[in-house]
Amino acid sequence: MMQVRQLFGRQVLADAISVTPDWQPKLLQRPSMMLTGQLVICQRCGQSTPKQTVRLPQGNYYCPHCFQLGRVTSNQNLWSLPEPNRFTKLTDSPLSWQGELTSAQNACSQEISAVFATGKTHLLWAVTGAGKTEMLFHGIEQALMKGLRVAIASPRVDVCLELAPRFQAAFTSIPQIVLYGEMNRPYAYKQLTICTTHQLLRFYHAFDVLVIDEVDAFPFAADPGLNYAAQQAKKESGALLYLTATPSKELSRLERQKRLSVSYLPARYHGHPLPEIKFKLTSHWRQSLMKHRLPVPVKKGLSQMISKHRKFLCFVPHIKDLAALASVLHTAFPELKTTTVYAGDPQRHEKVQRMRDGELDCLITTTILERGVTFSNIDVMVLGADDGVFSTAALVQIAGRAGRKSAYPDGLVAFFADRQTKIIQEARRQIRFVNQKARREGLIGVTHD
Amino acid sequence: MALPMTECLLCHRENLQQITLWQLLNFQPVEPSLLCQTCLDRLEPIPLDQACRGCGRHCSTQLCPDCTRWETLTNFKNRAMFQYNELLRQFMSQYKFYGDYRLRQVFQGKIKREVKQIKADLVIPIPINPITYQQRGFNQVAGFLEGVKTTAALATIEHDKQLPQSAKNRQQRLQMKQPFKLNLSTEKFNKKRILLVDDIYTTGRTIRHAATLLLDAGASEVVGLTLAHG
Repeated sequence: MMQVRQLFGRQVLADAISVTPDWQPKLLQRPSMMLTGQLVICQRCGQSTPKQTVRLPQGNYYCPHCFQLGRVTSNQNLWSLPEPNRFTKLTDSPLSWQGELTSAQNACSQEISAVFATGKTHLLWAVTGAGKTEMLFHGIEQALMKGLRVAIASPRVDVCLELAPRFQAAFTSIPQIVLYGEMNRPYAYKQLTICTTHQLLRFYHAFDVLVIDEVDAFPFAADPGLNYAAQQAKKESGALLYLTATPSKELSRLERQKRLSVSYLPARYHGHPLPEIKFKLTSHWRQSLMKHRLPVPVKKGLSQMISKHRKFLCFVPHIKDLAALASVLHTAFPELKTTTVYAGDPQRHEKVQRMRDGELDCLITTTILERGVTFSNIDVMVLGADDGVFSTAALVQIAGRAGRKSAYPDGLVAFFADRQTKIIQEARRQIRFVNQKARREGLIGVTHD
Repeated sequence: MALPMTECLLCHRENLQQITLWQLLNFQPVEPSLLCQTCLDRLEPIPLDQACRGCGRHCSTQLCPDCTRWETLTNFKNRAMFQYNELLRQFMSQYKFYGDYRLRQVFQGKIKREVKQIKADLVIPIPINPITYQQRGFNQVAGFLEGVKTTAALATIEHDKQLPQSAKNRQQRLQMKQPFKLNLSTEKFNKKRILLVDDIYTTGRTIRHAATLLLDAGASEVVGLTLAHG
């Protein structure tokens, strides 16, 4: 027998399910897959697949897109109970955050509160380091007081793990659950959920307020199934807020067609412009590394950073480039304390922490550190910025690692590549564009032109 | 030149496949690979001349220390195609435990070629128990052998509650009782050269139990073929 609280607003995959007799008639049962002539459409993740590629020997079909959450097979059902909002309405504010918003942040914050109250879909476009999380607090405060169920989802585990303690600190009295793939704790019914976008697939019409952070991040942008998940996870009347620093073409199109309202915040909370991207051409940088040489422009750039005792992140396109660069760097600058990190690195979190603590001078990384992580005073370089793994959004995010703290608003952002690409140009243009917009709106304290 | 973009079934990165000049001039259809080159490069094939004659493990001597311990079964030897490394572990987990049946196709071609070379009278896949079959929806070994003529000569016997082999340690694995029985009458196997196919050779307990049954039924020789050893 299943606990009803485990089923409120959730969707559970099973042949059959049993709850206490008074709840049994309220159970919602949906077939887990829809079959058409050629396709099977998974009702959990929304993805469709040609039938013949996923046919099992006994004639059932399965979904190859979301099997990490337990395989959906066409002979199963999705079971759920309607979300009853079993939370107490509050008369006192649960918000213990004491900080202040700038007037530009405050304007966005009020728009967000209105979106949450009316159940609309909205996009907050705020530059990297604008203070997006703080702008959510007042809207979420009001939602929680009304007894609404709230979720913050992000495509990246790292972002979830960084957000969770901040929300716990801001709303100390509100029970919170953090959900992601490798967690050890089981699911529990809580008013505030922080989860990866993947975990949204386990919900069905649960949230009155759903915030999706870093919508442009892999894999959300590339995965229409997770977009479907957002629509499924919120109540039909629920509010949906997308947060991004680099809106995708799809979101920009919806905005132009007036199908999505947008709040802009083109300046960082500390009122300094975003560091602009400096671009230098290299010639066959990968071959140079193979021959154990640093490309001349890279060496020059590094010497400058190192002579100023700057700490820096160094992004490379692929895991195999990490070791090559590390060994060349070690020969060229033997004093430099450096290490490499990538997504599957077992010491990933420790290494990032060592960089934060200032123990390392340089962290050589793949795109995993492109977003969500804040180092206080840092320069950034990208080697091979023309590689296909770097999207415009990724490059803007990488550039956005520099100058985030008000004590150190400047930082060098240097891109090296064998050729200038449309994607690099677009990233440079986006950063210049938001800086101009911020200047025009008087959001930047010190102008440098 | 590249084929239309697909995704590597294991790492989900873009799987761009270069067509070689040879393939281009050959005018034969190019069979697209389901895994990307990076993943394929992480496979560690075991060369025939560097394998233990008993169990097929990658080994410099002719008979590895483990096989000198298996004294009884003289008419059995195993061929393992790959080292059971991190990549194959990930592969088997996605194929067997998550149930991504598409992955059966990844090694079908290679396995078919091995089976052909071994020239056996009967090809017998190791069966899985009916409850697992019901949950998974397929037998992972039969999946590898799609398109090969096989004989369902073995069935599982239900002992009381069993741990799956993958959850046991070496000692527990070695103590396992005969898990199979014959589906067919013994004359079917008389004087036959039989090929047994399984996914992973770990201690050899499973496949040797099956081999013993077949040899006792009169088979002249039993050869094992496993995708991996380790």
